[in-house]
Amino acid sequence: MELLPFFEWAETTFLGYIGKTYGGVYATFGQSLHLMALAVLGGSVLVADLRLLNVIMKDVPSKIVTEQAHKWFRIALVVIICTGTFMAAAVAQRMYHNDFFWAKMSALLVGIIFVFAIKRPLLKGSHADLNPIVIKMVASASILVWFSVAATGRWIGFSG
Amino acid sequence: MINEILVQFAEWLYATGGSRAIEESFYLYNWIETTHVLTIMVCLGMLAFIDLRMLGYALPNVSASTIADRLNVPMMIGFAIMFITGLLLFYAKPTYTNQSIWFRIKMVLLVVAFFNAIRFHRHMKASASTWCNEPRAPLNLRVSAALSLGLWAGVVTTGRLIAYDWYHCYRDLPGWLSAAAGCVAE
Repeated sequence: MELLPFFEWAETTFLGYIGKTYGGVYATFGQSLHLMALAVLGGSVLVADLRLLNVIMKDVPSKIVTEQAHKWFRIALVVIICTGTFMAAAVAQRMYHNDFFWAKMSALLVGIIFVFAIKRPLLKGSHADLNPIVIKMVASASILVWFSVAATGRWIGFSG
Repeated sequence: MINEILVQFAEWLYATGGSRAIEESFYLYNWIETTHVLTIMVCLGMLAFIDLRMLGYALPNVSASTIADRLNVPMMIGFAIMFITGLLLFYAKPTYTNQSIWFRIKMVLLVVAFFNAIRFHRHMKASASTWCNEPRAPLNLRVSAALSLGLWAGVVTTGRLIAYDWYHCYRDLPGWLSAAAGCVAE
């Protein structure tokens, strides 16, 4: 399926026009808000996964920590997707030809599938019933995936 | 006077071999910047959870002092790496960064955030035993937590804006902005 026409169209949309025309709006509502949401997402991932790895808050049940962290993960993910869409729309054709953009989109997709199809269903029940090695593997994979999303995202700017 | 001294210092830094080596290395410079961004996730992520706990929006059923104590260590590790990579980024482009109004605002916000953190910890230590199991902290700590979130949002925003040269010295700037940005007569 040819995706280039979609990216060409994205630049002509209202979002694309605003991002391209007003650099200040692009930098503050796009980039800065994206970074702040990334900080909250990173915090929610680390708080939950470092607890699952028994590194922090060992005296607090992991179920409580992961449930609370997931609420903020969802909020941060929505903001990241909204601000990311806004930023990408402004430079859509450049993004189409950027390898790191596709790397980030792939990592993001893997991350979302991992969280909602594997991690959440697994952690829904009692954590005491789960194999500790499986829990640690899931937590390590989660940190790796989300830090890859952030790192590939930063490299989009270096390879444009 | 202070701007002249800062410009001389930045030019001296710029002339050193280490500064040139970092800026001219595509991978070294970009990996330092990537690490700086990744540590935002560690440091500010943990800080956000501590502040949100004080405001009653995160982990309200877990003791506030437990959250603050346990998240403080990873937060400080993240801050240390963020600080070192930040210094290296300044070292790589000292003349440009020194005359960025955004960098200067960022430094002011960082200093205010530092004093706010000291105030927060002092109040926390003095009063935590009386309220730490409550879902929300007392008003003075909630004000500190909200201020902390706002200041760090400002630090992130101004940090991101350093890359933009809208108000750089080679632009036509009003006098007050030129002085605030550290511009000096050639």
